[in-house]
Amino acid sequence: MAILKCAGLSKRYGSVSALEGLDLAVEPGRIVGLLGPNGSGKTTLIKLANGLLRPSEGQVLIDGREPGVESKKLVSYLPERACLPEWMSVQGLLGFYGDFYGDFDRAAATEMLSRLEIDPKRRFKHLSKGNREKVQLILVMSRKAKLYLLDEPIGGVDPAARDFILSTIIRSYNPEAAVIISTHLIADVEKVLDDVVFISRGRLLLNASADDLREQRGKSVDEVFREVFRC
Amino acid sequence: MLGKLLKHEIRATAHTMLPLYGLLLLVAALTNVALRTLNGKDVPAPLAILFTILIIVFGVGMMAVGLVTVFAMVQRFRKNLLRDEGYVMHTLPVSIHAHIWAKVLVATLWYALAAVVFVLSALLVAADADFVHDMANVFLELMKSLGNLQNTEILAELLGLMVLGSVYLSLMIYASLAVGHAFSSPKMLWSILTFLGLVFATSLAVYALNSLSGTILDGLIDAFYDGFAAMTAWRALCALTAGYLILFSGAYYGITVWFMRHRLNLE
Repeated sequence: MAILKCAGLSKRYGSVSALEGLDLAVEPGRIVGLLGPNGSGKTTLIKLANGLLRPSEGQVLIDGREPGVESKKLVSYLPERACLPEWMSVQGLLGFYGDFYGDFDRAAATEMLSRLEIDPKRRFKHLSKGNREKVQLILVMSRKAKLYLLDEPIGGVDPAARDFILSTIIRSYNPEAAVIISTHLIADVEKVLDDVVFISRGRLLLNASADDLREQRGKSVDEVFREVFRC
Repeated sequence: MLGKLLKHEIRATAHTMLPLYGLLLLVAALTNVALRTLNGKDVPAPLAILFTILIIVFGVGMMAVGLVTVFAMVQRFRKNLLRDEGYVMHTLPVSIHAHIWAKVLVATLWYALAAVVFVLSALLVAADADFVHDMANVFLELMKSLGNLQNTEILAELLGLMVLGSVYLSLMIYASLAVGHAFSSPKMLWSILTFLGLVFATSLAVYALNSLSGTILDGLIDAFYDGFAAMTAWRALCALTAGYLILFSGAYYGITVWFMRHRLNLE
Protein backbone atom coordinates (compact mmCIF):
# COMPACT_ATOMS: atom_id res chain seq x y z
CA MET A 1 0.00 0.00 0.00
CA ALA A 2 1.20 3.52 -0.81
CA ILE A 3 2.47 5.37 2.25
CA LEU A 4 1.32 8.66 0.69
CA LYS A 5 -1.63 8.83 -1.65
CA CYS A 6 -3.22 11.91 -3.16
CA ALA A 7 -6.44 11.61 -5.14
CA GLY A 8 -7.80 14.64 -6.99
CA LEU A 9 -6.11 16.81 -4.38
CA SER A 10 -6.80 20.53 -4.73
CA LYS A 11 -6.05 23.51 -2.54
CA ARG A 12 -7.29 26.99 -3.26
CA TYR A 13 -6.67 30.25 -1.42
CA GLY A 14 -9.62 32.37 -2.46
CA SER A 15 -9.43 32.50 -6.25
CA VAL A 16 -5.78 31.38 -6.32
CA SER A 17 -5.22 27.68 -6.95
CA ALA A 18 -2.11 26.23 -5.24
CA LEU A 19 -2.83 22.59 -6.14
CA GLU A 20 -5.24 21.36 -8.79
CA GLY A 21 -6.49 17.78 -8.99
CA LEU A 22 -3.19 16.15 -8.00
CA ASP A 23 -3.02 12.34 -8.18
CA LEU A 24 0.09 10.80 -6.69
CA ALA A 25 1.13 7.61 -4.89
CA VAL A 26 4.46 7.13 -3.09
CA GLU A 27 5.51 3.62 -2.16
CA PRO A 28 7.61 2.70 0.89
CA GLY A 29 11.37 2.37 0.37
CA ARG A 30 11.62 5.14 -2.24
CA ILE A 31 13.40 8.49 -2.10
CA VAL A 32 11.31 10.88 -4.12
CA GLY A 33 12.32 14.31 -5.37
CA LEU A 34 9.36 16.67 -5.33
CA LEU A 35 10.65 19.14 -7.89
CA GLY A 36 9.25 22.36 -9.21
CA PRO A 37 9.97 26.08 -9.37
CA ASN A 38 9.08 28.43 -6.52
CA GLY A 39 5.32 28.68 -6.05
CA SER A 40 4.60 25.42 -7.88
CA GLY A 41 2.73 23.89 -4.90
CA LYS A 42 5.45 21.73 -3.31
CA THR A 43 5.13 23.25 0.17
CA THR A 44 1.33 23.24 -0.05
CA LEU A 45 1.38 19.50 -0.81
CA ILE A 46 3.69 18.84 2.15
CA LYS A 47 1.53 20.96 4.47
CA LEU A 48 -1.59 19.09 3.35
CA ALA A 49 0.12 15.76 4.06
CA ASN A 50 1.03 17.05 7.53
CA GLY A 51 -2.48 18.23 8.30
CA LEU A 52 -1.33 21.86 8.51
CA LEU A 53 -3.79 22.69 5.73
CA ARG A 54 -7.06 21.09 4.70
CA PRO A 55 -7.81 20.19 1.09
CA SER A 56 -10.35 22.25 -0.85
CA GLU A 57 -11.17 19.08 -2.78
CA GLY A 58 -9.88 15.53 -3.04
CA GLN A 59 -8.02 13.53 -0.48
CA VAL A 60 -4.56 12.97 0.93
CA LEU A 61 -3.93 9.73 2.83
CA ILE A 62 -0.96 8.67 4.95
CA ASP A 63 -0.79 4.88 5.17
CA GLY A 64 -4.49 4.82 4.35
CA ARG A 65 -5.49 7.45 6.94
CA GLU A 66 -6.41 11.09 6.66
CA PRO A 67 -3.90 13.42 8.36
CA GLY A 68 -4.53 13.46 12.11
CA VAL A 69 -3.03 12.37 15.40
CA GLU A 70 -2.42 8.79 14.16
CA SER A 71 -0.82 9.80 10.85
CA LYS A 72 1.47 12.24 12.65
CA LYS A 73 3.02 9.31 14.52
CA LEU A 74 4.19 7.99 11.13
CA VAL A 75 5.44 11.20 9.54
CA SER A 76 8.70 12.96 10.28
CA TYR A 77 8.56 16.50 8.93
CA LEU A 78 11.29 19.01 8.26
CA PRO A 79 9.80 22.48 7.67
CA GLU A 80 11.48 24.79 5.18
CA ARG A 81 12.93 26.96 7.96
CA ALA A 82 14.15 26.33 11.49
CA CYS A 83 11.05 26.46 13.68
CA LEU A 84 12.19 24.90 16.93
CA PRO A 85 11.61 26.78 20.20
CA GLU A 86 14.64 29.07 20.46
CA TRP A 87 14.79 29.18 24.26
CA MET A 88 15.40 25.43 24.50
CA SER A 89 18.82 23.83 24.68
CA VAL A 90 19.74 21.16 22.13
CA GLN A 91 19.55 18.61 24.94
CA GLY A 92 16.08 19.89 25.84
CA LEU A 93 15.02 19.45 22.21
CA LEU A 94 16.16 15.82 22.29
CA GLY A 95 13.97 15.34 25.38
CA PHE A 96 11.08 17.09 23.66
CA TYR A 97 11.24 14.81 20.60
CA GLY A 98 11.73 11.76 22.83
CA ASP A 99 8.64 12.65 24.85
CA PHE A 100 6.32 13.01 21.88
CA TYR A 101 7.65 10.46 19.40
CA GLY A 102 7.93 6.84 20.46
CA ASP A 103 10.17 6.13 17.44
CA PHE A 104 12.78 8.77 18.32
CA ASP A 105 16.31 7.31 18.64
CA ARG A 106 18.03 9.59 21.14
CA ALA A 107 21.34 7.72 20.98
CA ALA A 108 21.52 8.17 17.20
CA ALA A 109 20.76 11.88 17.54
CA THR A 110 23.39 12.33 20.26
CA GLU A 111 25.97 10.51 18.14
CA MET A 112 25.29 12.77 15.13
CA LEU A 113 25.51 15.88 17.30
CA SER A 114 28.83 14.81 18.75
CA ARG A 115 30.17 14.08 15.24
CA LEU A 116 29.31 17.67 14.32
CA GLU A 117 30.78 18.92 17.62
CA ILE A 118 27.51 20.65 18.54
CA ASP A 119 27.37 21.16 22.30
CA PRO A 120 24.01 19.74 23.49
CA LYS A 121 23.98 22.22 26.36
CA ARG A 122 23.85 25.21 24.01
CA ARG A 123 20.58 26.97 23.48
CA PHE A 124 19.08 26.64 20.02
CA LYS A 125 19.05 30.42 19.56
CA HIS A 126 22.79 30.62 20.17
CA LEU A 127 23.64 28.24 17.30
CA SER A 128 24.69 29.46 13.86
CA LYS A 129 22.07 29.31 11.08
CA GLY A 130 23.79 26.28 9.55
CA ASN A 131 23.95 24.43 12.86
CA ARG A 132 20.29 25.18 13.57
CA GLU A 133 19.32 23.57 10.27
CA LYS A 134 21.55 20.60 11.05
CA VAL A 135 20.05 20.15 14.53
CA GLN A 136 16.55 20.24 13.09
CA LEU A 137 17.50 17.69 10.42
CA ILE A 138 19.15 15.45 13.02
CA LEU A 139 15.97 15.48 15.12
CA VAL A 140 13.81 14.67 12.09
CA MET A 141 16.08 11.92 10.76
CA SER A 142 16.57 10.31 14.19
CA ARG A 143 13.00 9.08 14.08
CA LYS A 144 12.17 5.65 12.69
CA ALA A 145 9.25 7.09 10.76
CA LYS A 146 7.37 5.59 7.82
CA LEU A 147 7.36 8.80 5.82
CA TYR A 148 9.88 11.65 5.89
CA LEU A 149 8.69 14.91 4.41
CA LEU A 150 11.65 17.23 3.94
CA ASP A 151 10.76 20.70 2.69
CA GLU A 152 13.78 22.40 1.11
CA PRO A 153 16.31 20.65 3.40
CA ILE A 154 19.28 22.14 1.55
CA GLY A 155 17.71 25.52 0.83
CA GLY A 156 19.73 28.02 2.80
CA VAL A 157 22.97 26.17 3.56
CA ASP A 158 26.47 26.12 2.09
CA PRO A 159 27.66 23.26 -0.18
CA ALA A 160 29.55 21.49 2.64
CA ALA A 161 26.44 21.51 4.79
CA ARG A 162 24.43 20.21 1.82
CA ASP A 163 26.70 17.16 1.63
CA PHE A 164 26.23 16.57 5.35
CA ILE A 165 22.48 16.87 5.05
CA LEU A 166 22.22 14.50 2.10
CA SER A 167 24.54 11.93 3.68
CA THR A 168 22.53 12.17 6.92
CA ILE A 169 19.31 11.52 5.01
CA ILE A 170 20.78 8.50 3.24
CA ARG A 171 22.46 7.09 6.35
CA SER A 172 19.63 7.65 8.80
CA TYR A 173 16.39 6.91 7.04
CA ASN A 174 14.51 3.73 7.68
CA PRO A 175 14.87 1.67 4.44
CA GLU A 176 11.24 0.63 4.68
CA ALA A 177 10.17 4.26 4.78
CA ALA A 178 9.63 6.72 1.97
CA VAL A 179 11.45 10.04 1.83
CA ILE A 180 10.04 13.00 -0.07
CA ILE A 181 12.49 15.82 -0.65
CA SER A 182 11.03 19.04 -1.91
CA THR A 183 13.59 21.27 -3.63
CA HIS A 184 14.50 23.26 -6.68
CA LEU A 185 18.26 22.61 -6.18
CA ILE A 186 18.14 19.46 -8.25
CA ALA A 187 21.82 19.00 -9.11
CA ASP A 188 22.62 18.54 -5.41
CA VAL A 189 19.95 15.96 -4.65
CA GLU A 190 19.78 14.11 -7.95
CA LYS A 191 22.25 11.42 -6.92
CA VAL A 192 20.09 10.26 -4.01
CA LEU A 193 16.71 10.16 -5.77
CA ASP A 194 14.89 6.98 -6.82
CA ASP A 195 11.89 8.81 -8.29
CA VAL A 196 11.16 12.31 -9.45
CA VAL A 197 7.90 14.20 -9.43
CA PHE A 198 7.67 17.48 -11.33
CA ILE A 199 4.90 19.85 -10.39
CA SER A 200 4.09 23.19 -11.92
CA ARG A 201 1.33 25.62 -10.97
CA GLY A 202 -0.20 22.99 -8.75
CA ARG A 203 -0.43 20.32 -11.44
CA LEU A 204 1.53 17.10 -11.83
CA LEU A 205 3.76 17.32 -14.91
CA LEU A 206 5.82 14.17 -14.58
CA ASN A 207 6.18 11.19 -12.24
CA ALA A 208 8.95 8.78 -13.15
CA SER A 209 11.89 6.75 -11.94
CA ALA A 210 15.04 8.91 -11.94
CA ASP A 211 17.02 6.20 -13.79
CA ASP A 212 14.31 5.72 -16.43
CA LEU A 213 14.08 9.46 -16.98
CA ARG A 214 17.83 9.80 -17.47
CA GLU A 215 17.86 6.79 -19.80
CA GLN A 216 14.90 7.90 -21.91
CA ARG A 217 15.98 11.55 -22.27
CA GLY A 218 19.74 10.97 -22.29
CA LYS A 219 20.09 13.82 -19.80
CA SER A 220 20.43 14.34 -16.10
CA VAL A 221 17.31 15.10 -14.06
CA ASP A 222 18.68 18.60 -13.55
CA GLU A 223 18.93 19.13 -17.31
CA VAL A 224 15.43 17.77 -17.89
CA PHE A 225 14.13 20.11 -15.15
CA ARG A 226 15.80 23.13 -16.77
CA GLU A 227 14.33 22.15 -20.12
CA VAL A 228 10.80 21.66 -18.76
CA PHE A 229 10.77 24.80 -16.64
CA ARG A 230 12.69 27.10 -19.01
CA CYS A 231 11.48 30.68 -18.55
CA MET B 1 -0.13 13.53 25.74
CA LEU B 2 -1.76 16.38 27.69
CA GLY B 3 0.58 15.63 30.60
CA LYS B 4 3.64 15.93 28.34
CA LEU B 5 2.33 19.15 26.81
CA LEU B 6 1.73 20.56 30.30
CA LYS B 7 5.28 19.66 31.35
CA HIS B 8 6.79 21.47 28.36
CA GLU B 9 4.34 24.37 28.66
CA ILE B 10 5.24 24.96 32.30
CA ARG B 11 8.96 24.82 31.47
CA ALA B 12 8.54 27.17 28.53
CA THR B 13 6.67 29.79 30.56
CA ALA B 14 8.48 29.36 33.88
CA HIS B 15 11.76 30.65 32.48
CA THR B 16 10.05 34.02 31.89
CA MET B 17 7.50 34.16 34.71
CA LEU B 18 9.53 32.96 37.72
CA PRO B 19 12.33 35.56 37.37
CA LEU B 20 9.65 38.23 36.91
CA TYR B 21 7.78 37.25 40.07
CA GLY B 22 11.07 36.81 41.95
CA LEU B 23 12.10 40.32 40.89
CA LEU B 24 8.84 41.82 42.14
CA LEU B 25 9.24 40.13 45.52
CA LEU B 26 12.84 41.35 45.74
CA VAL B 27 11.79 44.92 44.88
CA ALA B 28 9.03 44.61 47.51
CA ALA B 29 11.57 43.62 50.16
CA LEU B 30 13.87 46.50 49.18
CA THR B 31 10.90 48.89 49.18
CA ASN B 32 10.14 47.80 52.72
CA VAL B 33 13.68 48.77 53.73
CA ALA B 34 13.38 52.05 51.81
CA LEU B 35 10.07 52.99 53.45
CA ARG B 36 11.35 52.26 56.94
CA THR B 37 14.56 54.16 56.30
CA LEU B 38 12.76 57.19 54.93
CA ASN B 39 10.14 57.18 57.68
CA GLY B 40 10.88 60.30 59.72
CA LYS B 41 14.64 60.02 59.40
CA ASP B 42 17.20 62.23 57.74
CA VAL B 43 18.85 60.37 54.92
CA PRO B 44 21.35 61.71 52.39
CA ALA B 45 19.68 63.15 49.27
CA PRO B 46 21.07 60.59 46.76
CA LEU B 47 19.81 57.74 48.94
CA ALA B 48 16.43 59.41 49.33
CA ILE B 49 16.16 59.77 45.52
CA LEU B 50 17.20 56.14 45.06
CA PHE B 51 14.61 54.94 47.57
CA THR B 52 11.90 57.09 46.01
CA ILE B 53 12.65 55.63 42.60
CA LEU B 54 12.52 52.16 44.15
CA ILE B 55 9.09 52.87 45.65
CA ILE B 56 7.81 54.11 42.26
CA VAL B 57 9.25 51.02 40.53
CA PHE B 58 7.48 48.84 43.05
CA GLY B 59 4.18 50.65 42.54
CA VAL B 60 4.44 50.25 38.75
CA GLY B 61 5.50 46.61 39.19
CA MET B 62 2.48 45.86 41.37
CA MET B 63 0.15 47.39 38.80
CA ALA B 64 1.91 45.67 35.91
CA VAL B 65 2.25 42.13 37.25
CA GLY B 66 -1.22 41.03 36.15
CA LEU B 67 -0.99 42.75 32.77
CA VAL B 68 2.47 41.34 32.10
CA THR B 69 1.21 37.84 32.93
CA VAL B 70 -1.73 38.18 30.52
CA PHE B 71 0.58 39.61 27.84
CA ALA B 72 3.06 36.74 28.32
CA MET B 73 0.25 34.18 27.91
CA VAL B 74 -0.99 35.92 24.74
CA GLN B 75 2.52 35.88 23.30
CA ARG B 76 3.04 32.25 24.26
CA PHE B 77 -0.13 31.09 22.50
CA ARG B 78 0.61 33.19 19.45
CA LYS B 79 4.28 32.28 19.10
CA ASN B 80 3.91 28.60 19.92
CA LEU B 81 0.76 27.70 17.97
CA LEU B 82 0.19 30.42 15.38
CA ARG B 83 3.68 31.39 14.22
CA ASP B 84 6.81 29.44 13.16
CA GLU B 85 6.87 27.12 16.18
CA GLY B 86 3.41 26.00 15.03
CA TYR B 87 5.10 23.91 12.32
CA VAL B 88 6.61 21.79 15.07
CA MET B 89 3.66 21.88 17.49
CA HIS B 90 0.91 21.08 14.99
CA THR B 91 2.84 18.11 13.60
CA LEU B 92 3.19 16.47 17.01
CA PRO B 93 0.85 13.50 17.43
CA VAL B 94 -1.37 15.57 19.70
CA SER B 95 -4.95 16.76 19.21
CA ILE B 96 -5.88 20.44 18.93
CA HIS B 97 -7.96 19.97 22.10
CA ALA B 98 -4.87 18.93 24.06
CA HIS B 99 -2.93 21.94 22.73
CA ILE B 100 -5.66 24.36 23.82
CA TRP B 101 -6.19 22.76 27.24
CA ALA B 102 -2.46 22.81 27.94
CA LYS B 103 -2.39 26.53 27.22
CA VAL B 104 -5.54 27.26 29.25
CA LEU B 105 -4.46 25.27 32.30
CA VAL B 106 -0.95 26.71 32.40
CA ALA B 107 -2.26 30.27 31.89
CA THR B 108 -4.66 29.70 34.82
CA LEU B 109 -1.76 28.49 36.94
CA TRP B 110 0.24 31.66 36.21
CA TYR B 111 -2.76 33.95 36.80
CA ALA B 112 -3.22 32.30 40.21
CA LEU B 113 0.48 32.64 40.99
CA ALA B 114 0.44 36.30 39.86
CA ALA B 115 -2.38 36.92 42.37
CA VAL B 116 -0.40 35.21 45.13
CA VAL B 117 2.74 37.20 44.27
CA PHE B 118 0.68 40.42 44.22
CA VAL B 119 -0.63 39.77 47.74
CA LEU B 120 2.76 38.57 49.02
CA SER B 121 4.59 41.61 47.71
CA ALA B 122 1.99 43.93 49.27
CA LEU B 123 2.48 42.15 52.61
CA LEU B 124 6.25 42.24 52.21
CA VAL B 125 6.25 46.01 51.76
CA ALA B 126 4.24 46.57 54.92
CA ALA B 127 6.01 43.94 56.99
CA ASP B 128 7.61 44.68 60.34
CA ALA B 129 7.62 42.70 63.60
CA ASP B 130 4.18 43.98 64.72
CA PHE B 131 2.75 43.48 61.28
CA VAL B 132 3.92 39.87 61.12
CA HIS B 133 2.35 39.28 64.52
CA ASP B 134 -0.94 40.90 63.39
CA MET B 135 -1.00 38.95 60.14
CA ALA B 136 -0.43 35.70 62.01
CA ASN B 137 -3.48 36.53 64.15
CA VAL B 138 -5.55 37.39 61.07
CA PHE B 139 -4.51 34.11 59.49
CA LEU B 140 -5.48 32.15 62.63
CA GLU B 141 -8.85 33.92 62.73
CA LEU B 142 -9.35 33.11 59.07
CA MET B 143 -8.58 29.47 59.67
CA LYS B 144 -11.05 29.41 62.57
CA SER B 145 -13.76 31.01 60.45
CA LEU B 146 -13.15 28.41 57.79
CA GLY B 147 -14.13 25.87 60.41
CA ASN B 148 -17.57 27.30 59.80
CA LEU B 149 -18.89 25.25 56.86
CA GLN B 150 -20.70 28.19 55.28
CA ASN B 151 -17.53 30.34 55.10
CA THR B 152 -15.57 27.46 53.61
CA GLU B 153 -18.24 27.02 50.97
CA ILE B 154 -18.25 30.72 50.11
CA LEU B 155 -14.47 30.69 49.75
CA ALA B 156 -14.60 27.56 47.58
CA GLU B 157 -17.30 29.10 45.39
CA LEU B 158 -15.29 32.31 45.00
CA LEU B 159 -12.16 30.37 44.07
CA GLY B 160 -14.18 28.28 41.61
CA LEU B 161 -15.53 31.42 39.97
CA MET B 162 -12.01 32.87 39.76
CA VAL B 163 -10.76 29.73 38.00
CA LEU B 164 -13.72 29.81 35.60
CA GLY B 165 -13.07 33.51 35.00
CA SER B 166 -9.46 32.76 34.15
CA VAL B 167 -10.49 30.00 31.71
CA TYR B 168 -13.05 32.37 30.17
CA LEU B 169 -10.46 35.14 29.71
CA SER B 170 -7.89 32.74 28.23
CA LEU B 171 -10.35 31.22 25.77
CA MET B 172 -11.66 34.63 24.71
CA ILE B 173 -8.09 35.74 23.96
CA TYR B 174 -7.22 32.45 22.19
CA ALA B 175 -10.36 32.61 20.03
CA SER B 176 -9.46 36.20 19.02
CA LEU B 177 -5.90 35.18 18.16
CA ALA B 178 -7.03 32.10 16.20
CA VAL B 179 -9.46 34.20 14.13
CA GLY B 180 -7.04 37.12 13.69
CA HIS B 181 -4.18 34.89 12.56
CA ALA B 182 -6.32 33.25 9.87
CA PHE B 183 -5.96 36.52 7.92
CA SER B 184 -2.79 37.19 5.95
CA SER B 185 -2.05 40.52 7.61
CA PRO B 186 -2.01 42.48 9.84
CA LYS B 187 -2.72 39.51 12.08
CA MET B 188 -2.53 41.29 15.44
CA LEU B 189 -4.84 44.07 14.29
CA TRP B 190 -7.42 41.47 13.20
CA SER B 191 -6.96 39.69 16.54
CA ILE B 192 -7.63 42.90 18.50
CA LEU B 193 -10.68 43.69 16.35
CA THR B 194 -11.96 40.14 16.90
CA PHE B 195 -11.43 40.51 20.65
CA LEU B 196 -13.44 43.74 20.69
CA GLY B 197 -16.09 42.05 18.57
CA LEU B 198 -16.30 39.13 21.00
CA VAL B 199 -16.58 41.51 23.99
CA PHE B 200 -19.43 43.33 22.23
CA ALA B 201 -21.20 40.11 21.14
CA THR B 202 -20.85 38.62 24.63
CA SER B 203 -22.28 41.75 26.26
CA LEU B 204 -25.23 41.64 23.88
CA ALA B 205 -25.77 37.94 24.58
CA VAL B 206 -25.63 38.48 28.38
CA TYR B 207 -28.10 41.36 28.04
CA ALA B 208 -30.42 39.21 25.93
CA LEU B 209 -30.19 36.27 28.34
CA ASN B 210 -30.89 38.52 31.33
CA SER B 211 -33.86 40.04 29.54
CA LEU B 212 -35.17 36.57 28.72
CA SER B 213 -34.83 35.45 32.32
CA GLY B 214 -37.02 38.44 33.28
CA THR B 215 -36.58 39.59 36.85
CA ILE B 216 -34.76 36.52 38.18
CA LEU B 217 -31.38 38.26 38.35
CA ASP B 218 -32.81 41.44 39.94
CA GLY B 219 -34.68 39.30 42.45
CA LEU B 220 -31.52 37.43 43.39
CA ILE B 221 -29.52 40.62 43.88
CA ASP B 222 -32.31 42.16 45.99
CA ALA B 223 -32.56 39.00 48.08
CA PHE B 224 -28.80 39.01 48.63
CA TYR B 225 -28.73 42.63 49.85
CA ASP B 226 -31.91 42.26 51.92
CA GLY B 227 -30.19 39.59 53.94
CA PHE B 228 -33.29 37.49 53.65
CA ALA B 229 -32.25 34.11 52.23
CA ALA B 230 -28.91 35.79 51.39
CA MET B 231 -27.06 32.48 51.24
CA THR B 232 -29.54 30.98 48.79
CA ALA B 233 -29.37 34.13 46.68
CA TRP B 234 -25.55 34.04 46.79
CA ARG B 235 -25.53 30.42 45.63
CA ALA B 236 -27.95 31.19 42.81
CA LEU B 237 -25.84 34.18 41.73
CA CYS B 238 -22.71 32.03 41.74
CA ALA B 239 -24.48 29.35 39.72
CA LEU B 240 -25.76 31.92 37.23
CA THR B 241 -22.31 33.52 36.83
CA ALA B 242 -20.69 30.10 36.48
CA GLY B 243 -23.32 29.15 33.89
CA TYR B 244 -22.56 32.25 31.83
CA LEU B 245 -18.80 31.71 32.10
CA ILE B 246 -19.11 28.06 31.02
CA LEU B 247 -21.51 28.90 28.18
CA PHE B 248 -19.31 31.61 26.68
CA SER B 249 -16.07 29.73 27.34
CA GLY B 250 -17.59 26.83 25.38
CA ALA B 251 -18.39 29.16 22.49
CA TYR B 252 -14.84 30.62 22.44
CA TYR B 253 -13.38 27.12 22.67
CA GLY B 254 -15.45 26.05 19.63
CA ILE B 255 -14.26 29.10 17.66
CA THR B 256 -10.62 28.41 18.56
CA VAL B 257 -10.80 24.73 17.58
CA TRP B 258 -12.60 25.45 14.29
CA PHE B 259 -10.16 28.14 13.18
CA MET B 260 -7.08 26.16 14.16
CA ARG B 261 -8.39 23.10 12.36
CA HIS B 262 -9.78 24.74 9.21
CA ARG B 263 -8.06 28.10 8.86
CA LEU B 264 -4.58 27.59 10.29
CA ASN B 265 -2.26 30.09 8.62
CA LEU B 266 1.31 29.85 9.90
CA GLU B 267 2.76 32.12 7.18
